[in-house]
Order: sequence, then structure tokens, then C-alpha cells
Amino acid sequence: MAFEPKEEQKELKYEELRIYSDEELNNYTDEELKNFKIKHDIPMCDELESGPWPSFVADAKREALHRRKLADGRMMIEREVVEDMLGQLEVSFEHGETHWKHGGIVGVFGYGGGVIGRYSDLQDQFPSIAHFHTMRVNQPASKFYTSDYLRSLCDLWEYRGSGLMNMHGSTGDIIFLGTFTEQLEPIFYELGHVMQQDLGGSGSNLRTPSCCIGKARCEWSCIDTQAMCYELTHFYQDELHRPAFPYKFKFKFDGCPNCCVASIARADMSYIGTWRDNIRIDQEALQAYIGGEILPNAGAHKGKDWGKFDINKEVINLCPTRCMGMEDGKLMIDDKECTRCMHCINVMPRALKPGMDTGFTILFGAKAPILEGAQMSTLTIPFMQSEPPYDNLKENVIEPLWDWWMEEGKNRERLGELIQRQGIQKLLEILGIPPMPQMVKEPRSNPYIFWKAEDVPGGFERSIDDYRTRHAR
Amino acid sequence: MDDIKQAILDFAEKSKKTKFYFNDMEKAVRKVMPDIKARAVKKAATALINEEKLVYFSTGSTTMYGLKGRGQTEDH
Repeated sequence: MAFEPKEEQKELKYEELRIYSDEELNNYTDEELKNFKIKHDIPMCDELESGPWPSFVADAKREALHRRKLADGRMMIEREVVEDMLGQLEVSFEHGETHWKHGGIVGVFGYGGGVIGRYSDLQDQFPSIAHFHTMRVNQPASKFYTSDYLRSLCDLWEYRGSGLMNMHGSTGDIIFLGTFTEQLEPIFYELGHVMQQDLGGSGSNLRTPSCCIGKARCEWSCIDTQAMCYELTHFYQDELHRPAFPYKFKFKFDGCPNCCVASIARADMSYIGTWRDNIRIDQEALQAYIGGEILPNAGAHKGKDWGKFDINKEVINLCPTRCMGMEDGKLMIDDKECTRCMHCINVMPRALKPGMDTGFTILFGAKAPILEGAQMSTLTIPFMQSEPPYDNLKENVIEPLWDWWMEEGKNRERLGELIQRQGIQKLLEILGIPPMPQMVKEPRSNPYIFWKAEDVPGGFERSIDDYRTRHAR
Repeated sequence: MDDIKQAILDFAEKSKKTKFYFNDMEKAVRKVMPDIKARAVKKAATALINEEKLVYFSTGSTTMYGLKGRGQTEDH
């Protein structure tokens, strides 16, 4: 189905939106950068530049020099914001503790997310970072954007913010790092009214939904991840911007079980594309892999000589459920045993493809916290067909789930923790899904079905006298 | 809606803490209106935000609500 935007889309042209000239954007030489020192002494930060990896300190210094050379009136917040940020970081290294005060009531009108207040507690020493608020920009689906869009975004942030940004935060947003309170509304206006760009989620909200590259570029994608991400983002605007959940909630959409956005590890509700029929096999292409005419893994490992491709060693014996084998020179797959690990398809993409009867699997309850252990999500709905506008999903899965979590979840309790606390059986009851042996690790030894009185004819109450008529004491 | 808004404001004025979770606000409203749904409380809270009587307080990971002018202000 062709993409139909919810509102008319206009093409952004950098030449119409740009704030800075080419001369302003390229306003220092390599020689000047080499000799540049920021106004604070930062030996420990400098040390970070000596490692093997590119350092944010080097990037920050470039930005500091760039701002130092811009003319007065070409930045709406202090010129020294980046230099003060590095200066405070050095002090934090010396003291072994942060000097940021995190959180606050700042935001844009009507939104409970998208802006995170941050203040320095060393404002006399570093006045240009007295306010250093973060803004989250809802990234385009699959992070597809044009250079016109990016350059317009960068100019806006250079003009009204620090110029420092993260591409991208772990939820996927484009993160603007550091501006003053009075700049928040003008930035929000420019983003929304000029660039048709919304802020992302933060706090106890639905977080910015994120999706893999999907059918736009990937032949393995079993669902149109971008369409789902777009539809649910628009449909749940209230949940995205007006917080009433016990804690954060994340949707992530993966087109196939390769799970390129790692929904299985990070989303409270993971959507993973899958298929119900059989893996498609092209036996001729398979022979070409065995004969060495086609490189395995699309040539991804050709930089080293790994020897001749051995289908038994590299594919068949690595199958986690041992559901495949060669018979009379042909690859045979017992598809009902396949767990969608994707390894065989990844190694021989021209010979094997996902099936044609596609949809998605839903898993619940992943989280990847910094302090406590990560938790993978639990497969609960093995297959749903992906049909816009996804009413079945919204009405029968998402909303009952949210009602339960909002009712029963404790403050700062993620969905996965609630499932652990009340049990997966409760989750299944909320969703009206029958339990399956695949939901437990050892179904033959674990009595995973707990019957309720109403499920049993006559309930649990029995007459002992009646029993004794048949069983002598 | 006005009843719910008033119950929220009463709670926001009297609560020991100047910032509170949505859950706590919802429980306070339930004491006055036992059958109220969470979504109705949310709608009333959003209306109070738009009327600038309530404010959001966000740590980045969690969001709380507060009565405007009570406790922390935007300058902190």
C-alpha cells in the first residue's frame, strides 16, 4: 500500500531555511584548530583525545572554535557554552562527582516530554551553562532524512542552542544538548511549524517509537515497519506527549528476527516481523554457495581467508533446533521446528528467504537499565497479521495492556517488572490469550497452567462424603 | 470534568510533597470519586496543565505533576 501522510508533506530546502552562510560554517582553518585552546585548562579531558577512538572532546573543541569565530548576534545563547561545558566536565573529573542538576519543570507548552531540564551547580564559574536543557527530536522513521533536513536542523541548533547534539540517543531521537529556557519555545515553533518536526518522548510517556529500515531497503522485512511506526506514533500522540504512565514505555518495530533495532532487548512491547509458512529455498543458488560461486554472508567476511564454504559446518550444524539437513544434494528444512534465528538466511541470502505468509510476533517486557540487569522480552503473541490501521492491535492488545499497567503498575515500574510481579498468567488473562507450552522453559516439568475454579466443571468444592462412597478411608 | 479538576487541585494543594506521581494523584481522586477511570483523571490533569494551574516536573526518565508556583520554579 502506498504511503499516505496524515498531513501534507512539504519538501524542506536548506537554501530557504539556512541561517548561516558557507563562510560562517567553515570559519576556521586546520592550523587554527591545531593551536586552539579553550578558555579553561582541561588536562584530563585532553587525555581523552589520545585514545584510539574519535573523541567527543575533539568534536567539542571544533564547535568551541567555530563559535569563538562567529560574529556577535549570530548565536542566541552564550558563545562560550561549549567551553564552559568542557570546563565543568574537567571539574567533575577532579571532584569525582557530577555538577549537573538534572530535571525540572521546564518544557514547551502542553507537552510533558521532549525537554529535560538541566542546570549547572557551578553557575558562577560557568555562567554560559547555567541552563543546559536537553531537547529530544522525534527522528524520522528508520532515520531516513535528507541532508537538507539535517543541515536545517544543525543551523537551528547552532543559532538557538549549543550546537552540540547526539545522533542518536538510545531510544532513537536526535538529541539537542544544551540550551536556555527562553529558547525552548522558539525552537519548538521552528521545528513544528517550519520543519514539520515533532519532539520525541521522555519521562513517563510513550517514548519515541523506532523502527528498522524495513521494506524500504531490506528484502527480509516481513512487515512495513515504517508504516506501523508512523501510524502508532500519530495515533498515540496523547500518550507520547502527556505523561500518565507509571514509567517509560517503548515500542520498537523490527522487520525480521535479525532485530536490527534490538526491540527484543529494549522495548516494553517489541514487534518482530515473522512468517507462518516455509522458508523459501532456491536449490540452484544453494549449490552455487556450496560450489563457491556465491560468497556466503554476501561477502561480508571476505577480508580474511576462511577456507572453502562448508555448509554443514557453517550452517546446518549451527541450526539451534537442528531442523535442517541435506538429502540427495538438496537442503531440506523441517519448518515447524524453525525458531527464526535467521542464521541460515543471513549466510545464504540468495538461496534462502523468509516465507510469504508474513506478519509480526509481539513480545513484552524488555528493559535495558543502566544500574540493574537487562531483561529480554517474553514472546507472548506468536503471530498477528499486519494490516493498517492496526485496529485489532490497538483495541485488543495495546490498550488493555496499558489499562492494566496504569491500574496495577507501581511508580517507576516497567511493564516487564509488573509481568514478573503479577505473573505471565495475569498478562495472558488481560490479553485473553491461552497459555502455551512454548511460554515456559520446561513445559513437561513445570505445571504452568493454574486452573481457576470457574475453569473447572463444578469448581474446586467437592463433597467429602461423596468421595468416601468411592474411596474407603 | 470540573469535579475531577477540583479533586486534583485539592490534592495538589494539600499533599505533603510538592511534586507527585500520576498514580498518587489518581488515588486521591478515587477517594472522592471511587469509580473514576485513569483516562478521565489524565484528561482533567491535561486540562489543568493547559490552564497553567498544574505543571509537569520531569527528571528525564520519570514525570511528576505539581501545583504551579508551589515548590520548585522554572528558575531552578
